[in-house]
Amino acid sequence: MAGVNGDPADAAERNGRDPPARPDEAPEAASVALDGVGKTYPGDGDGGSVRALDDVSFSVADGEFVCLVGPSGCGKTTLFRIVAGLTEATDGRVLLDGTEVTGPTTDMGVVFQEYHLFPWLTVAENVGFGLERSDRSPAEREARVDEMLDLVGLTEFRDAYPKSLSGGMKQRVAIARSLAVDPDLLLMDEPFGAVDAQTREMLQRELLDVWESTGKTVLFVTHDVAEAVTLADRIVVMAAEPGRVREVVDVDVERPRERGDAAFAEHVGRVRELIGAGR
Amino acid sequence: MATETASRVDEGGVSAGLGLGDGRRLLRGAVGVAGFLLVWHAVSLTQEPFVLPSPIAVAGAFGSEFASGDMTTALFQSFWHWLPGTVAGTGLGVAAGVAFGWSRLLDDLTAPLVRTLRPVPPLALIGFAIAWFGINDWGAAFIIAVGAFWINFYAAYGAVEGVSEDLLDVGRTLGVRGDLDAVRSIVLPASLPGIMTGIRTGLGRCWMLVVASEIFGVPGVGREIIRASNNLRVDRAIAYILVLSLMYLLVDVAFRAVERRALSWRA
Repeated sequence: MAGVNGDPADAAERNGRDPPARPDEAPEAASVALDGVGKTYPGDGDGGSVRALDDVSFSVADGEFVCLVGPSGCGKTTLFRIVAGLTEATDGRVLLDGTEVTGPTTDMGVVFQEYHLFPWLTVAENVGFGLERSDRSPAEREARVDEMLDLVGLTEFRDAYPKSLSGGMKQRVAIARSLAVDPDLLLMDEPFGAVDAQTREMLQRELLDVWESTGKTVLFVTHDVAEAVTLADRIVVMAAEPGRVREVVDVDVERPRERGDAAFAEHVGRVRELIGAGR
Repeated sequence: MATETASRVDEGGVSAGLGLGDGRRLLRGAVGVAGFLLVWHAVSLTQEPFVLPSPIAVAGAFGSEFASGDMTTALFQSFWHWLPGTVAGTGLGVAAGVAFGWSRLLDDLTAPLVRTLRPVPPLALIGFAIAWFGINDWGAAFIIAVGAFWINFYAAYGAVEGVSEDLLDVGRTLGVRGDLDAVRSIVLPASLPGIMTGIRTGLGRCWMLVVASEIFGVPGVGREIIRASNNLRVDRAIAYILVLSLMYLLVDVAFRAVERRALSWRA
């Protein structure tokens, strides 16, 4: 497990990212640590239980962008749900800034592949959903919603219902909704998997902008290796049956990364090779 | 949806929904009704009036019942059975359906009871209506409420069962905690379309039940239909049946307008 505990400050420097000088918000990011996480699904009574995840350990540092890739069936989504506190692990634990995750928490902003916007709420109401449960005043909530809509460029759609939005716009709303409550960690499960290639690249650029301007820690699950190399400081490559960490790859390429670059292609090749070997 | 319907008028397309803005659809409906009345009239010429009165006789009966004020009186009497019965049955049915559809515990506790009571037709409960409420408006309202209850119970129950687990997960990650919060902020709005369909079905069903609810002697439109039938005054019976149909139509159109507005977010 080379590089699992690599120094994140070091990683940031290598990536040519300025040290976080964020005037708009106090840097509020959290570290995540997975410690021997395992998941076994009980069988159908004949003892045929399934080991979906086995001894998964890695960590994500404050403000770091980590992608999780792997072949289908490697338990990426199960792992995502465990980190989010939506599914219980059979073994091990997940620590968010040193505190064990025992259930869903607003310290994490969670973004799903299928957007899952609330169809009965307008764009602005969707973004403000989590704020209604915070201790902010109505005026503060409204200002926060405006800020988030501005961040994802959907100010003019604030009163639209999700039914009239494109897939890319829906995912922007979902991202704004998860960021509105100002979580320390952004946890995303193949968020751009359901949009066309062109929109995906645009959303990737926008996500990097958001990441750089907010300084959030990001854990991003994807099956798209090029996407992982485009985005991540480090890539956790998983192997299947049972789902486990195969290797952690540092992406030593300056941003913005160009797909035509030799270094980019080299990383993609390396990760693909690891995924292939993990089958 | 309303604007969509209106915009299709010029194209002469077929549109779903209310269709009031669609001229061609209205015209076809009118032709259908006229044809039906013609056939009815032709057949009635060959029959005794107590078997099948002509539409003209029915119109006459309608006019004279209305002019005498009997019809309005009966309608008001029935309305005061329909309204409390529908409101109570709908409210309790939706509340129970949501609660039992959401809570596994409540569902398990009540499932045997619900399955036993479900097949009992409201009419079979007339004895209870008389014993518990007497031969009065409340007894009639009770029969109607029972009918409304089951329709709304199952509609709400099914709608809540169908609420996406993913939306609930999203809610939890955004701070939704506890059953009340989840039901109020996610389960209810997500199941509103199904609940509305139940309410609408129930509203119609309750007008049908007005007849049954007045069978044991409470005055109203239903009572008039039964009395006219017993006296072989089929024209009067049909006139009062028409009143029920008109009331149903009125309530249905009004509710559809409310529904469209409440569910404008739907694709």
